[in-house]
Amino acid sequence: MSQATQPLPRPWLTGLRDATPLLGGYVPVAISFGLIATQAGFSTWEAMLISTLLYAGASQFLFVGMVAAGSPLWLVVAMTLLINARHVVYAPNIAPWLTTSRTWPWLMHGLTDQIFALAHSRLPQMPAERRLGWFTSAALLAWLSWIAGTALGAVAGEELTRRWPLLGEVMPFALPALFLVLVAPRFTSRRWSLALGSSIAMALLLTLAGLTNAAIPLAAAGGAVCFYMVKSRVPASGERHE
Amino acid sequence: MSNALWLAVLASAAGTLLMRLLPLLWMRRRLARLDGDERLDAMPQWLSILGPMMIAAVLGVSLVPATNDATSWLATAIGVAATLVVWWRMRSLGWPIAAGVAAYGAVVVLIALATP
Repeated sequence: MSQATQPLPRPWLTGLRDATPLLGGYVPVAISFGLIATQAGFSTWEAMLISTLLYAGASQFLFVGMVAAGSPLWLVVAMTLLINARHVVYAPNIAPWLTTSRTWPWLMHGLTDQIFALAHSRLPQMPAERRLGWFTSAALLAWLSWIAGTALGAVAGEELTRRWPLLGEVMPFALPALFLVLVAPRFTSRRWSLALGSSIAMALLLTLAGLTNAAIPLAAAGGAVCFYMVKSRVPASGERHE
Repeated sequence: MSNALWLAVLASAAGTLLMRLLPLLWMRRRLARLDGDERLDAMPQWLSILGPMMIAAVLGVSLVPATNDATSWLATAIGVAATLVVWWRMRSLGWPIAAGVAAYGAVVVLIALATP
């Protein structure tokens, strides 16, 4: 599988390098979570523990927001789980490239939207023996940056956003740039291009309409419907199924 | 935090972990029954399509700037263009992102300097 003409960097190093762009998005968002959590009455340790255990961006904001608003806790838990339900489709999509190691199921704690997108693109490109090391370091870097960012936001969030407002504005663009690079190679045919394009557009419009949490599952489902519709309209185009 | 609140954190965390983990165990069992090339066909087709669509949707959500003004949208458009151009030439992961962030930042800074 590997060409072995020159030694590859260690898998964990490749994982760290590939996941580094995520920091541009994770750290500023984690800082704002830390800030909002402390403003909502949580201590620094509590905010960090939520980031460590729950580790799911949008739902954490919802969690502290609903708790601060005095919502019943069963509803807080239900809404949190509902928002995170999209994660259900991630692991099966990367499962064919995972080895038999017993560590994998535990590593799924780190399977965020972004790590999934990264793994879904990168795992198929690397030899099987490199995947565990790659995933572990990429997922750990993202997780630790999220926890560290939360701590930073809880302790010094106000000061940071006052002193470097521009940095907090510019760095998050690393996230869309990363996804763009991950999605771009998939525009391989008219059918995929239409489906992916409509998924992107729908997610964008739903977010603009204020439906950020519903945007991902709804737009993905819309894109998939589009994928099947193109097939039924152009039955003999000879396109590949994937 | 009160005990009830701790319980809510733990329940949400455990539920989220299970939603990330259980589908893997299900899929692994499905894959274990097959071997070789069949393994890649083990996934239901709709599921294999939903994966890339989810990534596209996450892209769509993340494209919306935190501040919804003309400057941010212009910077986003130029940042996207810069990312795509560098990706097209280099086909790598890191440089296109660096170029995109730099272009985005340059637009934001230039407009901030140009407006009194």
